[in-house]
Amino acid sequence: MKTSGQVLAILTVVAALAIVSVPVFAHHGTAAFDTTKMVKVTGTVTDFEFVNPHVQIYLECKNEKGEPDKWQGELTAPNKLIRAGWDKHTLKPGDSITISGYASATGAHVMWIRELIGPSGEKLPLFEE
Amino acid sequence: MRHSVILSLQILVAAVIFGDILCAQTSPAPSHDLTGVWMLRNPAPIRAFSGATFTKEEPEMTPWAQAKYKEAKPSNGGKFTLDTTNDPVLTRCDPPGLPRVYFHPYPFEFVSTPKYTLMLYEYDHVVRRIYTDGRSIPQDPDPSWMGYSVGHWDGDTFVVESAGFNDKTWLDRLGHPHSTQLRVIERFRRTDSDHLQIEFNMQDPKALVKPWTATFSAELRPKWELGEISCSGDYLDFSKFEK
Repeated sequence: MKTSGQVLAILTVVAALAIVSVPVFAHHGTAAFDTTKMVKVTGTVTDFEFVNPHVQIYLECKNEKGEPDKWQGELTAPNKLIRAGWDKHTLKPGDSITISGYASATGAHVMWIRELIGPSGEKLPLFEE
Repeated sequence: MRHSVILSLQILVAAVIFGDILCAQTSPAPSHDLTGVWMLRNPAPIRAFSGATFTKEEPEMTPWAQAKYKEAKPSNGGKFTLDTTNDPVLTRCDPPGLPRVYFHPYPFEFVSTPKYTLMLYEYDHVVRRIYTDGRSIPQDPDPSWMGYSVGHWDGDTFVVESAGFNDKTWLDRLGHPHSTQLRVIERFRRTDSDHLQIEFNMQDPKALVKPWTATFSAELRPKWELGEISCSGDYLDFSKFEK
């Protein structure tokens, strides 16, 4: 027979595991995003994939409660970013950046990035023209 | 006194010349030459739909085409996500085909040679060879994704006629279907050196009751170069991006 304290502890662990293991769905395609809801996240780059079809940025950050959290930001195609001045070295793990964009319609921690403040504190161009 | 008059004249002349330079924002189009990298830039009134289809109004479709259109679950321009769409480009990496290739928001390039003109589309590294040596489209062309194309100059307009398509592609991003009887006529005309007008005329007796027509606009991008895009596992295996 478990005490209520033990049950609470187990539930807390289960809840924490559920949060950690929620898959981060990379739904590219605008229908996957809620274009009425903007979100903004500041964090540290853990990975930067300069790939087709859409460039991906992975961040570690802290949520409202100060707990560690993860976010993924999706940009446009590499060719378009190259014409905007980017290359595969524009971001690197460890960079501190702020991304703002449309939230995933599913509530997953994925956004379609519309504005990006780079490690130097300047807005990086996201559009080829 | 005389010096100041001369000085004033010089300033006036300079101002006129400088003014001319500032105003020289367009120049006449080179004759019979479409060489360069172009990007579709439609005028504001049609931008609400021209990223996904040709006209605001539905084309007049045959019952066969209406039934096929009902089966389409479009993502780009539609309400379906990658999990639920049946768009052949997104689910199978099929080439977009002609004319759907114009709905991919990437530039295209004309390369002219004496006997044919190449059209290179950044998405998905698609190449069209438009024969300009006077030949006709074969009577019964083999099916292909981009069709068999012949072109000629009609005054200042490069007229390209294409036929010989498979029926695996959509005409646009919304899923309007076509059959192997599709014929596409494109009329390319430079309205000045930097602007290109493209008139589309799509005919398909099995799918369209009457020709579907539209006019799009493109702008020259002198500083752009086409890069590589290859639809591949990067596109189809989305799980690799889930971390």
